[in-house]
Amino acid sequence: MSENLYINKSNEVYDAIVIGSGISGGWAAKEFCERGLKTLMIERGRVVEHQKDYIGENKAPWQQPLRTKVDNLLVKEQHQIQQQCYAFTDATKHFFGNDKDLPYTTAKNTNFTWIRANQLGGKSLLWHRQSYRLGDYDFAANKSDGFGNDWPIRHKDIDKWYSHVEKHAGISGSKDNLENLPDGEFLPPFEMNSPEKVLQAKFAELYPDRPLIMGRTAHLTKPTKLHLSQGRVQCQARDECQAGCSFGSYFSTQSSTLPAAAATNNLHIAPNSVVHSLIYDEKTNRVKGVRIIDNDDLSEREYFAKVVFVCASTIGSTQILMNSISKKFPNGIANSSGVLGHYLMDHNYNAGASGDIEGFEDEIDKGRRPTGLIMPNFYYKPDAKRNFLRGYALAGRAYREGWQSIQHQDGLGVEYKNKLKQAGKWRFGLYAQGEMLPRFENKMSLHPTLKDKWGMPQIEFDCHFSDNETNMMIDAAEQAEKMLKAVGLNNVQSRVMHGPPGLAIHELGTARMGRDAKTSILNAYNQSHDIPNLFVTDGASFCSSAVQNPSLTFMALTVRAVDYCVKEMNAKRI
Amino acid sequence: MTKDQKTLTDESKRKFVKGLALLVGSTAATAFLTTKSMSVALAHTIESEKTIAVEPLTDGKVFSLNQLKQLKSICAIVIPKTDTLGAAEVNTHGFIDNQLFHCYDKSAQEKAKQLLSLINVVAEKVFSQSFIALKQTQQFELLTELDLGIKNFSSTERQDFKLLKQLICFGYYTSEVGASQELRYLAVPGGYKGSIAYEKTDASWGSQGLYY
Ligand SMILES: Cc1cc2nc3c(=O)[nH]c(=O)nc-3n(C[C@H](O)[C@H](O)[C@H](O)COP(=O)(O)OP(=O)(O)OC[C@H]3O[C@@H](n4cnc5c(N)ncnc54)[C@H](O)[C@@H]3O)c2cc1C
Ligand code: SF4
Repeated sequence: MSENLYINKSNEVYDAIVIGSGISGGWAAKEFCERGLKTLMIERGRVVEHQKDYIGENKAPWQQPLRTKVDNLLVKEQHQIQQQCYAFTDATKHFFGNDKDLPYTTAKNTNFTWIRANQLGGKSLLWHRQSYRLGDYDFAANKSDGFGNDWPIRHKDIDKWYSHVEKHAGISGSKDNLENLPDGEFLPPFEMNSPEKVLQAKFAELYPDRPLIMGRTAHLTKPTKLHLSQGRVQCQARDECQAGCSFGSYFSTQSSTLPAAAATNNLHIAPNSVVHSLIYDEKTNRVKGVRIIDNDDLSEREYFAKVVFVCASTIGSTQILMNSISKKFPNGIANSSGVLGHYLMDHNYNAGASGDIEGFEDEIDKGRRPTGLIMPNFYYKPDAKRNFLRGYALAGRAYREGWQSIQHQDGLGVEYKNKLKQAGKWRFGLYAQGEMLPRFENKMSLHPTLKDKWGMPQIEFDCHFSDNETNMMIDAAEQAEKMLKAVGLNNVQSRVMHGPPGLAIHELGTARMGRDAKTSILNAYNQSHDIPNLFVTDGASFCSSAVQNPSLTFMALTVRAVDYCVKEMNAKRI
Repeated sequence: MTKDQKTLTDESKRKFVKGLALLVGSTAATAFLTTKSMSVALAHTIESEKTIAVEPLTDGKVFSLNQLKQLKSICAIVIPKTDTLGAAEVNTHGFIDNQLFHCYDKSAQEKAKQLLSLINVVAEKVFSQSFIALKQTQQFELLTELDLGIKNFSSTERQDFKLLKQLICFGYYTSEVGASQELRYLAVPGGYKGSIAYEKTDASWGSQGLYY
């Protein structure tokens, strides 16, 4: 690791600037550094060091002043929005954004939950690590039903880049040989418990086209030499990942991409550097660098490079582009098409069903498996008979109830205490992860007057689920209920909820790829149609949401874009 | 340190060492585990040596001294001492006072106080004594009626008591005794096993990762 990894002021013209240090930025930096390019990673937040700064890690509940809960006052002042995330607890709260400093607005009658993690590592520290490839039906979805523009790529274009990131990150899963959920380079899958195995077999019998498989997840079930050499060891099944993991057993920037990048001595990091906008040179039609507002003292500085990769997360990246105004680009840099900010998507997690499983009383599982099961999208082929387009996956797991469920029962005293001590009945549920259509009217824009404390215009969201998403959730609840009953569960209950977009934390779109420069921002390599040395490789580039958790695809798109960019630089086209 | 607490400390130390042995056995790369991750895991045992003061001596943040005493006897009835300590012995009443103050709103705090008053009012009505002055069997009888919403208690009052019971359970099963003695606590499970034998007399898992 180079001695001065962290920099503040610099006049150097770097080979590459990478904005953001989350999942996408970490990969961009690693790939540039390993190709010998001097790289500056710019991060708006503070430094979080692997192991040292995981201050909530491995604390038993009784060692936490509020037994895992967070003080009202703190929530009210700083985390009104962030506290809506299931992973917001006393052990993780310092990795979530401060809502007081990061205000945003939503258009009338709409709502959007924007979860943020502004520090070195970004949301890679907080993610749930579910990792899936997109299939060809996903890449072709827009084309086949006409919603959104056609993805300029198919699975074969990104296949080897998926493999590249899977091997380094470490993805566990089973080879399932499914038509629209391509297998990857997997470490062994986590085990199923007995009821899950039985349910899997019953589903296979009753619904042969709806397999139930082990969740694919970025955990080292069996670390390779490469992982061990990075100081990453086997996952211990604590399921406390979001507090940070000193074992390095799940993929994060800190555990995986950052050490690889730093090992090359080509990496520098500028923390506490809020990118305000990109510096554009109209004469050469190139981006020259970035304008920074210091996170702490609000002073200004600039950094320069030959190419700029914007990896500040979907909304963050588009915010920077929109705030980069010039004579040539009065509506945001690289926005000659006018679609910047449009086609905002998330996933829809608003339906599910659950029930009781009879039997299996003489066994229990051991350890806390950090993933559940998944029934991949079984509606991936278009079908006009359904009253909605696209489809959903269903996620679930079997577990034995504990005191949290049993406590609601009547009773007191020794008998009650003994009941609470025992493991309760087995339960299983299926919860929807639905696709959201790309629609022009779902958008983010810069607020005309309101600014944040760094002088950045605030974001205004205007985004809502349409009837298509609602109809899909109604179907998901019905299907889940029907299937759970069919495989023999008791007391099956289903529900449809009406949460706003945002809380699936899979923001996508707003600077989409496409073949046509008139209707998209980026080409098939995540390169700006308008400005050759500008790339956006995170979720902003998505044309459709598919149903899969998207971050593995951010990784693959990013490394592919770096490979292309370096070749273009070598060929002197950039 | 009382004897109970001493055994508790030894017990969790043993568990931790066992967990660590598992860990070391399970991977060749322990050399890479820094002292940080070790000391992080070790933190469990250091904390547990603190003695728990359980007798209310002053007003709390939400409850008065008398209410705290009353709450303590309710804790003792709901989750009593058996071969492990009960909710009162691990200061669940103190926990509830603190938790209500920091993590709940004013209306929840008021509801809890009203419930305590109600319990006293009914105790006076039926036994002509305050709740803490009752015999344990009488306390048990009265709280059972409340728990079922029968006789002197309405179904709304029953619901309010269920909320208090939830706080008692949360406080107890997230305490060191509740999570690691009454239940089984695995700080570092060493991997996931889909199935191990379980008998009805076995304790369930007290360790739940981040989510309690
Ligand atoms: C609780 C939770 C669970 C999740 N589960 C999953 C899952 O199971 N599977 C999955 O695929 N995805 C999951 N996600 C989503 C996943 O975390 C994100 O998709 C992913 O981290 C996005 O990567 P990114 O690099 O684009 O953005 P981020 O990881 O958010 O990183 C962006 C970085 O850019 C920085 N930045 C932003 N603006 C600026 C600026 N102006 N100047 C400088 N720096 C800036 C930020 O501070 C941040 O560090 C989950 C997210 C959360 C919060
Ligand atoms: S489950 Fe695995 S990755 Fe998560 S905290 Fe535990 S050891 Fe780390």
